[in-house]
Amino acid sequence: MDKTRRLSRFLDPKVLASIASMEIRARSVVEGAIEGLHKSPFKGFNVEFAEYRSYVPGDPIRDIDWKVFARTDKYYIKEHEEETNLSGYLILDTSGSMSFKGDAAFNKLEYAATLAASLAFLMLKQQDSVGLVTFAEGVRKIVRPKSGMGHLKGICRELEATEPTGATDIGETLDRVAETMRKRGLLIMFSDLMDSADAIIRKARQLRTRRHEIVLFHVLDRQELTFPFEDTILFRDLEDRSEIVADAYALRREYLRRVQHLVTTFQSALRRAGIDYLLADTSRPIEASLRQFFTRRMSGGVRVA
Amino acid sequence: MLTFGHPLFLTGLLTAAVPIWLHLSYRRTPVPKDFPSLRLIRLSVEAVVRRLKLRNWLLLALRLLVLLLLVIGLARPYLGSTFGSLAHTGAPAAFVVILDNSLSMGVTHQGISLFNSAKAKALEILERMGPSDKASVALLHDPGTLLFTQLSWDKQDLKEAVRNAPLSYSGTNLPGVLQAAVKLVAPVRSYKRIVYLITDMTRVAWKPLLESGDVLGRIDAGIELVLIPVGDGTPPNLAVAEVSLDQPLVMKGRPATLWVTVANHGDRARSTRLSVLVDGDKKHDIPIEVEGRSRQRVKVPVTFPAEGMVAVTAHLPADSLPHDDVRYLAVQVLPPQKVLILKPPADRDGTPSRDDLFLRFALNPLNRSEGATFVVESREPEEALSLRLADYTAVYLVNQRQLPEPLVGRLADYVLGGGYCILFLGSRTDPDWYNSALLDTPGGRHLLPARLFKRVGNAVSKAIAYQLTDLDTGHPAFSLFATEGNGDPRRAHVWEFFQVQPNSGALVLARMSHGLPGLVEERRGQGKVLLVAFTADTSWTNWPLKPTFLPFLHQSLAGMLGRRGLRGEAIRPGMPVSMVVQQEDLHKVTLVPPQGLPVELPIRREGGAEGLLHFSTTRTELPGFYRLLLEGKEGTRTEAFAVNPPPEESDLERFPVQKVPRFRALAHRAGSATSLGDKVQEVREGKDVSRLLLWLLLVAALVETIVANRPSGLRSEARA
Repeated sequence: MDKTRRLSRFLDPKVLASIASMEIRARSVVEGAIEGLHKSPFKGFNVEFAEYRSYVPGDPIRDIDWKVFARTDKYYIKEHEEETNLSGYLILDTSGSMSFKGDAAFNKLEYAATLAASLAFLMLKQQDSVGLVTFAEGVRKIVRPKSGMGHLKGICRELEATEPTGATDIGETLDRVAETMRKRGLLIMFSDLMDSADAIIRKARQLRTRRHEIVLFHVLDRQELTFPFEDTILFRDLEDRSEIVADAYALRREYLRRVQHLVTTFQSALRRAGIDYLLADTSRPIEASLRQFFTRRMSGGVRVA
Repeated sequence: MLTFGHPLFLTGLLTAAVPIWLHLSYRRTPVPKDFPSLRLIRLSVEAVVRRLKLRNWLLLALRLLVLLLLVIGLARPYLGSTFGSLAHTGAPAAFVVILDNSLSMGVTHQGISLFNSAKAKALEILERMGPSDKASVALLHDPGTLLFTQLSWDKQDLKEAVRNAPLSYSGTNLPGVLQAAVKLVAPVRSYKRIVYLITDMTRVAWKPLLESGDVLGRIDAGIELVLIPVGDGTPPNLAVAEVSLDQPLVMKGRPATLWVTVANHGDRARSTRLSVLVDGDKKHDIPIEVEGRSRQRVKVPVTFPAEGMVAVTAHLPADSLPHDDVRYLAVQVLPPQKVLILKPPADRDGTPSRDDLFLRFALNPLNRSEGATFVVESREPEEALSLRLADYTAVYLVNQRQLPEPLVGRLADYVLGGGYCILFLGSRTDPDWYNSALLDTPGGRHLLPARLFKRVGNAVSKAIAYQLTDLDTGHPAFSLFATEGNGDPRRAHVWEFFQVQPNSGALVLARMSHGLPGLVEERRGQGKVLLVAFTADTSWTNWPLKPTFLPFLHQSLAGMLGRRGLRGEAIRPGMPVSMVVQQEDLHKVTLVPPQGLPVELPIRREGGAEGLLHFSTTRTELPGFYRLLLEGKEGTRTEAFAVNPPPEESDLERFPVQKVPRFRALAHRAGSATSLGDKVQEVREGKDVSRLLLWLLLVAALVETIVANRPSGLRSEARA
């Protein structure tokens, strides 16, 4: 009942889309969606061991050190000293394919940018530092992580200025990001993943081995997911401008099968690697996608190693 | 062949253009659409496009098929009628029903008479005869009969003829009867022309037709030939295939050997008993076993105590085809035959001529009057004037210079009436007299088969020995020597002989080694004359000393005797039998058939020689022993002949229906859902297949619906 009430407070995507300023858009989303959450979905990475103390009822069970329990037959809690600053990168795909807009209020880039801005706002609000990387065939722009709300303006300006063009090369981009990030941090990528699935998975795993926490928003339009076309259609590729004529109606089953297969492949392979994968349907309210993300993180769907 | 009741509907076939047009126009201009990436679409297209193309073509084919079936169905198609434009115009039919009534149709297998089955089928065909149709019925036996020489409208007459059609004991004449039937219907082109052949499909019946060139190919293509096979399978059958004697002459009281051949036309060996009867008295009852698909010759020793015509019957126990289980042979048992030798007159000193010595010895080696085959009388020409030449089987002229003129005339009569005259030449022979008196006789009454010229060689010096070559082993006189081990007349030497030039109608039975004729025979009237160009004794040749001389003389006489009369067993049922006799006082000839009343035969006087009388009969339908009673002033003489079915009819092996060209087979079994009459109607009108086509249309439409709507599942799935 409570959930229904909150969802009903989601902003109408059309209204949200009419807000030109990315900063105001982000504030609107965050204030609408995150209001009422008791805990931040973000946690610091740089944790240092402090001491053991005896378990007292009310402590989270997950904090019990089971190895000590095995040796001593007593419950001990392992306490850490957390660093306060979380360093995060928002990695935004700005290739041509992200310009696709079906029946939704946003095109995929706008949707992803709004999501990114919202997350940046959230992170900056809790004193974390946030950076931005835009890419297509390669890295286009890197905004170094900074903390303080004043940095939000710079990120939003960059997001507003970005135009979707060119092809996608996620592997190259992730290599560059890895070189840039010296410390462990949080990488949140927004992309339609129009690249080789194997390459994306391989690179994401490599990043994961460096103990970065990775969240991957797979941004897809509703038309990409349902392929609702009936006629003979001349499809034109938004990245390389190649064309193909096909009977969409006859093609639908095979296409949907392949899309489903792709999503399942990402889902299973990335989750196995400890990477948080979320399918972001642009026809859904942005707050809904954010809330889905928060819910997953707070339920411990993905653990930081 | 497909014909149509309403051919105008076929114009609807043009509607087939509609789905083709739709199919082509469906390839409309595609709607452009931007899409994030074509990677997945390309992969999907690769997988789907082949299936899609196939589906589209299948749909086009199904839609065309639906239209075609609809249009053809509405045009009321008929399958199988060969009458083209006549098929559905209500044109009447002209047809001939050929009913196989040959011996093989006499089979009764598993209680069903094949011939009765065939008759029932013929009646069923005639029952379907319309009021404007006309028909005839033909019987397939050899030589075949058209029961109606003109096509008849009278159905009842035709059916009655079928009911009364008798089973024949003869073989089949398929080419002849078929051609006669085709000839009957060929002129009536405004009719649907059909020839129905109802037969048991024996291989022997079809062989002549299929081997006689392109008989079937020459038949007008507008005439439908319909084959209605009767019977099923090949029942096992044993038959007496042949009864014969191994010697041409059967003498009273002398042992003779009868050979009976039993044929097993089944696949398995069979045991049976062969009975041999002489004039109705059982003489032998012999158990035999015959292997499958083989023949067995059985040797039966017999002795005929009395002269005259004797009926020999060989029979087996009756089986599925009883008519071939008995076979007859007419045997003429002869008394010793009288032979007259006209030897040269005695020398002036009274020494009798010995030119006939070797002849006399060869013809009657033991000089017996009883128990001998030939009784020889040797006379001088003057003595022969008082003799009745007709009493002699043969007259030998040996080394005669000249003959008295009356004797020449009587010899000519004797030969023309059926006598056998053999001339041996020699040193006394005057070729000029021979040529003028015996050859250049006016009125065609000559005796000599060749003109005589000079003598060749020298029998005194014996410098050059000639041999006989080019023997005519087809002639009875030399046929014996065709078998190795029976001696060789070519080993004899001839030192001197007359050069002769054969008449145009004469046969050269042997030549001398340098090619000149040595033995010449000519048929004269009912008799024959044989000229030997050298001597009958050893003065010009050593042949009389050789072992082949005696058989040559006997065989030449036996051949002549065997040719006379009507003996043998090769006369087939229905064959005409005729006979010419020299008996001026003959006034009545009566035929006594094996069953039924005796029939008097008309006698016709033959031209040419005096006293030649001719009579004939075609009343030989039944197998058996026929007697001819020849009544003259001096009493009644009996001739006889045997009529037997053709042995090849006993082979009931069937010829496969599907291998018969040109004919349309109309297989029908008793009790089947479609009657033969319905099938006959189908032949005339064709089979109405419109209903079938409409069913097919429904099926095609259903399949089209399923194929066309198969992706509808996808649609709902995607919407969900």
